Amino acid sequence: MDGAPLNRAELQLLKVAVRMNMIVMAIAFGLLGGTILWLSTVILLVRGGQVVGPHLSLLSVFLPGYSVTWSGAWIGLAWGVALGALSGAILYWSYASTLRERLTGRLLDVRDAASELSPPTVLISGNALGVALGLLLAVQLFFTTNWLVVRGTGESSTNAALLGHYLPGYTVSFFGSVLGAIGVFVLAFVFSHVLAWIYNFIARNSTR
Amino acid sequence: MKVSDSISAVPATTIRMGQSTIAHARFSPDRGDLIARAAFARLGVVALAVAMGCVFALGLWFATAVLLMKDTPSSVPVGPHLALLSNFLPGYSVSWSGSLLGAFYAFMIGCGFGAIVAAVWNVAHHIYFVIATARRSFAGDV
Repeated sequence: MDGAPLNRAELQLLKVAVRMNMIVMAIAFGLLGGTILWLSTVILLVRGGQVVGPHLSLLSVFLPGYSVTWSGAWIGLAWGVALGALSGAILYWSYASTLRERLTGRLLDVRDAASELSPPTVLISGNALGVALGLLLAVQLFFTTNWLVVRGTGESSTNAALLGHYLPGYTVSFFGSVLGAIGVFVLAFVFSHVLAWIYNFIARNSTR
Repeated sequence: MKVSDSISAVPATTIRMGQSTIAHARFSPDRGDLIARAAFARLGVVALAVAMGCVFALGLWFATAVLLMKDTPSSVPVGPHLALLSNFLPGYSVSWSGSLLGAFYAFMIGCGFGAIVAAVWNVAHHIYFVIATARRSFAGDV
């Protein structure tokens, strides 16, 4: 694709394509989010025991109405779908926004693939995915941590504090949440690059 | 504004292409064509499945290894909370052998997630493309 800026019609098409893809990602992540939480709850319920899922039930701090019970599993399903869909949509929007200037570069890959008579396949930008996923997780960690602080249960949140094993400096406090957010951003960025590299490697080789 | 409406902004050659043709076009497309193609481009199901599987496996292995590499007195259990994953991943434990088994489980789960995301993406785009093309056909533009 030439380097000239996109015209109005092209920008409009790009905008609606991004909106459509946001909806698709929301559906995919909503399905996954709901299924994961429902299945996790149901597995614990089926396993049974005197006290069922004491740790998983702590999610009720963030998801009102959720509990490790059969009715709670369905409420968890609804929460999982809603939060998964929201996360998926934000993730794609953030990804597309970061990639905006380089989206034309991604289109080059489409043209190359087409000229080789193979189906156009999306290639993933490690940087854009890293920024999008990193920001999403960082914001989520920041808000969930500070929700515990605002509730006044920061001191007693020993389970959440265990994240400090992986995120240097993380504690259940405002300052700790900032350090944790930086740490989770870095981790997500690194893992996103690994994912993008593996995906692009396989995608390129499978379309040859 | 909908994608099907926006499609009118690009040359009709793009719209005339069937689903198979869009994947095997021989002509040199212009920029509008490329944007339309990118809008409906596919995600590699196998590629995303394997990539997410690898990342999940690496993640769980890393999470286990970090705890194992910490100096913990022998009388204290290592990673009792992470070990609760054995409720979902039979045989998993916070040990070196457990980290490998956990990585295997995580790879399989990641593969499943990746395949689902890519499949939903591809099916949704296919459906949307068919609907958009049909709407244009009924409108008599194609």
